[in-house]
Amino acid sequence: MRARVVVTGLGVVSSIGIGISEFWKAALAGQSGISAITSFAPFAMDGYRSKVAGQVRDFSIERFLDSAHGARVDRYAQFALVSTKEALADSGLQMTKEDPHRVGVIVGAGMGGMVMGEREVTQLYEQQKPHRVHPNFIPTITLNSASGIIAMAYGAKGPNLTISTACSSSAHALGQALHCIREGRADVVIVVGADASITPLVFAGFCSLRALSSKFNDQPKKASRPFEQSRDGFVMGEGAGTLILESASHAKKRKARIYAEVAGYAATSEAYHMVIPREDGLEVAHTMKLALEDAGLSPAHVDYINAHATSTTIGDAVEAKAIRLLFKSRANKIFISATKSLIGHTLGAAGAIGGIASVLSLQTGQIHPTANYEDPDPACALAGLSRSAQERRVKVALLNAFGFGSNNAAVVFKHATT
Amino acid sequence: MATDPTISLKIRTSLGDYLQQDPATIRVTQHLRDDLGLDSMAVIELLYRIEEAFDLQIPDQDLVGLTTVGHVVRYVEKRLGKTASAAPAKKPVTLKNPKSKKKP
Repeated sequence: MRARVVVTGLGVVSSIGIGISEFWKAALAGQSGISAITSFAPFAMDGYRSKVAGQVRDFSIERFLDSAHGARVDRYAQFALVSTKEALADSGLQMTKEDPHRVGVIVGAGMGGMVMGEREVTQLYEQQKPHRVHPNFIPTITLNSASGIIAMAYGAKGPNLTISTACSSSAHALGQALHCIREGRADVVIVVGADASITPLVFAGFCSLRALSSKFNDQPKKASRPFEQSRDGFVMGEGAGTLILESASHAKKRKARIYAEVAGYAATSEAYHMVIPREDGLEVAHTMKLALEDAGLSPAHVDYINAHATSTTIGDAVEAKAIRLLFKSRANKIFISATKSLIGHTLGAAGAIGGIASVLSLQTGQIHPTANYEDPDPACALAGLSRSAQERRVKVALLNAFGFGSNNAAVVFKHATT
Repeated sequence: MATDPTISLKIRTSLGDYLQQDPATIRVTQHLRDDLGLDSMAVIELLYRIEEAFDLQIPDQDLVGLTTVGHVVRYVEKRLGKTASAAPAKKPVTLKNPKSKKKP
């Protein structure tokens, strides 16, 4: 029999709170973390179509870590270190009592160390002094810098992987960690999603893709409005989320508090288009179905969906269509929320942070609001969406995450006692 | 051989910044790795700072001789053509150790 896998610790860095308690309180209140971009100064924002983002304000690694590890990595990996510190403390896991080779780290990151990356590229092109490129440039922008530094910080010598599938990165990280523990390759996997690329170049790139909201530059908190009639694109966010996954037997042996079970996972490709989803929603529906089958469940069991829901016109409509395709009449009985309505799209961190919201809903019976869900788009109408927090006992939660490159992922969580 | 106090201070200050240590506690006799705990990557980062501080480019082949604080100070002095003593050093500072290159 394959090992059951449970979640025993959570940690988060987000624009609505650093730390689970602050994050969840703000999420239930429907608080928006979206604000006007100020971090590009003195770079003027005039030329950008979109001017808002979900920025983590006043973040300084020294406030959270006293080790030297944080100073050696880019902002996204600093976020990852902070969320992981919280999650490990929350889990009660003591590395000194663990076999280090049985503790793995799997990180999902979409963009990686772009803060330093952009700075060094800019300087090189402006100054044309190759010898002035910082020696730490390569280790910093290498996409596995977060998974590497976390392993070093905690002595985790098990499987150490980084998954980069754009916006589905950390949903895939959760799924690969599930497989890793099921297959007996590790007792514990530290699963992280992290990204911090609200930088002049990356932001300009998303603007050029016409993927970002630009109608609400004067009302930043209104800009991220998944499934709503007047949505006009996603809002970039940044942050990190960490979930400590371990085998149920390992968790029970050390008497850990169990938040939820990670019961199923599916990864598929639409093999269709680099940035556009298939409009019929068939592949998204298929991915959710596969994840439920992996969990030994059927669509009838699902109570809650943490939707990918980025607030783009086509993406939200496809997801809503896929939900109706798979769940049929039950689609309107399932509670649904879009975490991106609060914090924007945190790219590689989105799956992990959505996973944290799912786990907290399972544990607390509370579902956070979908901010700005004022005038439902008929193309996306689902009765379970709400501008208000909802209370309901959730036994099964489904997390969706889709990424550029035609990637889809779905993860199924079950209530700890189900 | 006397060293240029300005250069020595600048280098010790760079080291102090890097190590978060009072520059006054850093001595020229200290070995970068054995005494100050700098690994090979940290030495490269330190030299990167020193290149900037003195507007120098340090070729790869010169790195091998730079193992103590004093080596670095004297190397920079040589490159800048300065020492604190009135007379130039009688014997040029050897920064490269050709024998070490032959080691496997």
